[in-house]
Amino acid sequence: MAAEAAAAGRLWLSACRAGGHWRRLCSAGLLRGFLQPASAVGDAARRRQLAHFTFQPDPEHQDYGQTQKMNLFQAVTSALDNSLAKDPTAVIFGEDVAFGGVFRCTVGLRDKYGKDRVFNTPLCEQGIVGFGIGIAVTGATAIAEIQFADYIFPAFDQIVNEAAKYRYRSGDLFNCGSLTIRSPWGCVGHGALYHSQSPEAFFAHCPGIKVVVPRSPFQAKGLLLSCIEDKNPCIFFEPKILYRAAVEQVPVEPYNIPLSQAEIIQEGSDVTLVAWGTQVHVIREVASMAQEKLGVSCEVIDLRTILPWDVDTVCKEECFLNLEAPISRVCGYDTPFPHIFEPFYIPDKWKCYDALRKMINY
Amino acid sequence: MRKMLAAVSRVLSGAAQKPASRVLVASRNFANDATFEIKKCDLHRLEEGPPVTTVLTREDGLKYYKMMQTVRRMELKADQLYKQKIIRGFCHLCDGQEACCVGLEAGINPTDHLITAYRAHGFTYTRGLPVREILAELTGRRGGCAKGKGGSMHMYARNFYGGNGIVGAQVPLGAGIALACKYNGKDEVCLTLYGDGAANQGQIFEAYNMAALWKLPCIFICENNRYGMGTSVERAAASTDYYKRGDFIPGLRVDGMDVLCVREATKFAAAHCRSGKGPILMELQTYRYHGHSMSDPGVSYRTREEIQEVRSKSDPIMLLKDRMVNSNLASVEELKEIDVEVRKEIEDAAQFATADPEPPLEELGYHIYSNDPPFEVRGANQWIKFKSVS
Repeated sequence: MAAEAAAAGRLWLSACRAGGHWRRLCSAGLLRGFLQPASAVGDAARRRQLAHFTFQPDPEHQDYGQTQKMNLFQAVTSALDNSLAKDPTAVIFGEDVAFGGVFRCTVGLRDKYGKDRVFNTPLCEQGIVGFGIGIAVTGATAIAEIQFADYIFPAFDQIVNEAAKYRYRSGDLFNCGSLTIRSPWGCVGHGALYHSQSPEAFFAHCPGIKVVVPRSPFQAKGLLLSCIEDKNPCIFFEPKILYRAAVEQVPVEPYNIPLSQAEIIQEGSDVTLVAWGTQVHVIREVASMAQEKLGVSCEVIDLRTILPWDVDTVCKEECFLNLEAPISRVCGYDTPFPHIFEPFYIPDKWKCYDALRKMINY
Repeated sequence: MRKMLAAVSRVLSGAAQKPASRVLVASRNFANDATFEIKKCDLHRLEEGPPVTTVLTREDGLKYYKMMQTVRRMELKADQLYKQKIIRGFCHLCDGQEACCVGLEAGINPTDHLITAYRAHGFTYTRGLPVREILAELTGRRGGCAKGKGGSMHMYARNFYGGNGIVGAQVPLGAGIALACKYNGKDEVCLTLYGDGAANQGQIFEAYNMAALWKLPCIFICENNRYGMGTSVERAAASTDYYKRGDFIPGLRVDGMDVLCVREATKFAAAHCRSGKGPILMELQTYRYHGHSMSDPGVSYRTREEIQEVRSKSDPIMLLKDRMVNSNLASVEELKEIDVEVRKEIEDAAQFATADPEPPLEELGYHIYSNDPPFEVRGANQWIKFKSVS
């Protein structure tokens, strides 16, 4: 850390808005494949489709006991299982959670813990969150699921005006800290406008709640357990494209990863890359591309908690005085999340690499 | 060899003779119209309901048959294209619910308005869009009705406001359209549709209150196909009498598998609204054969026997066909010809939808706002710029 601070200066690159898309393979360059006229069935089927990221698992953690190979949704199930076992007041509810959930995050929990602890709600997000706040206020642990982050907006009022302000407005007499809202998040390749959104920015300016986005199964379980145990209402966004694509060795026993702590995944001295969720894997690749092609050493940071975020890790003291180039943001366009144009909308590794290159040459 | 040639020539000339045979069929003595009995509707806060008998003319019958068959074949073609990965994303099919879209259209005027949720392909067709534009929109091509930018859930046409992805969000919109109808004073009504799952959304009740308070000409229609995605109505709603959920709004429960029943009920409801009595609620009891969307097999929350039973006893197309044939409004051959015509139309549309080019990349930024000078869309980096043009 000291060595970095002493370095001549820092270049910043922050990549927001994680996503995934199925990019059609083409001979060279990203655009050419798409600008070809759409042709008959055979051609379309022949074009292979790749995600815009490669999941990079972390090395297995030894300090938490026995581990098991799990993907993201299994890690979430494991965390929920641990919570319900430890805390007799914990309940899980949401649309379709009883049979296991549309992404299989709650499989087996109803059978194990009973139908009064894992139950379905009708189709009403505002009702789900409001109801969850009520449970939490009495002291029980409420774990609500919003089926897609895109549907969280009817509940926005409840989250921002009720949940976030409860402790403050009652002078700490009451609080809904034992509420956790989980929601599948981010683009998935074919989600279009209403199954791909990343709404963490809407909540990022609301004091009173915490917003967390994991990048991998190991991170997800630890962060989710921390969110559930945290004495503040938390929103936990789970990158849906990683549910199956991300597989890692995850400890079976419960463990916590602290909130509001960013993680420096890779040390570097020239450029800082910050991202969260799926995008972390994109910028990891960008970092290795930069090292290989430009000889640039990148520091890769996973922000993990969006609110309250870890200012200290991300910008060291006086960093703004030492920046050698303006901070660059690489994210989706200022349009609604498109249907057919998704591959062009996503901040993939080429856009990030390009931004980095321009920054180096500033 | 000779016999074979003769057989071949007979077949070929048979094909050429088709027009002749059609003339033959047409000159058969068909009835001009027939009277049918339809199921009585359950009523809520209404003294009397729609009539229990209705007259169907031959012309109307053929028209409804063709429309329903087109919707059915279009949905099945969409299923096929989806499995071939030509259609991506989300695709919610409405086969089984054809009587709803065709019956509703039959009960209103083209100048009336309609808004629905995401199971919208059938309504897009009945509201006047050609099949090729619908399929092209599904495949995301520039020939699509929303220029390829909307996809399955966002199709629009004249007096048809979509196509809405967020469950229940379209109902307050429908109430607003009804307000505009009342304000404009042109005697138009707005049909606002939602499903049995959406019936539990809070904003629906907000819309009920406004519509009743201000006596808006809004027909709220709950398309109850018994399952909200994978949740059956008993597990989602405290009261499954959706036609009564409007409380202070009168309601009727209609057999949604019978196109004539739907038509009569719609006419009744439209007359109620046009006479200034305020909103009315219709529950259409219907069924969908496919799962909720293409990623749902549709058999994990209901049995195949149930689907089969509905298909064999209450299929809307079969019901209409049987009625027409049995009362001599049409012949089986004639209806088969319509089937062939429809199939061809759908094939051509699918061909178009597959071959049409995708919208140009520049359109990624178009139509965000309405603005005079095009502005640059803020984005990923400073090298790929998109303009928003409206």
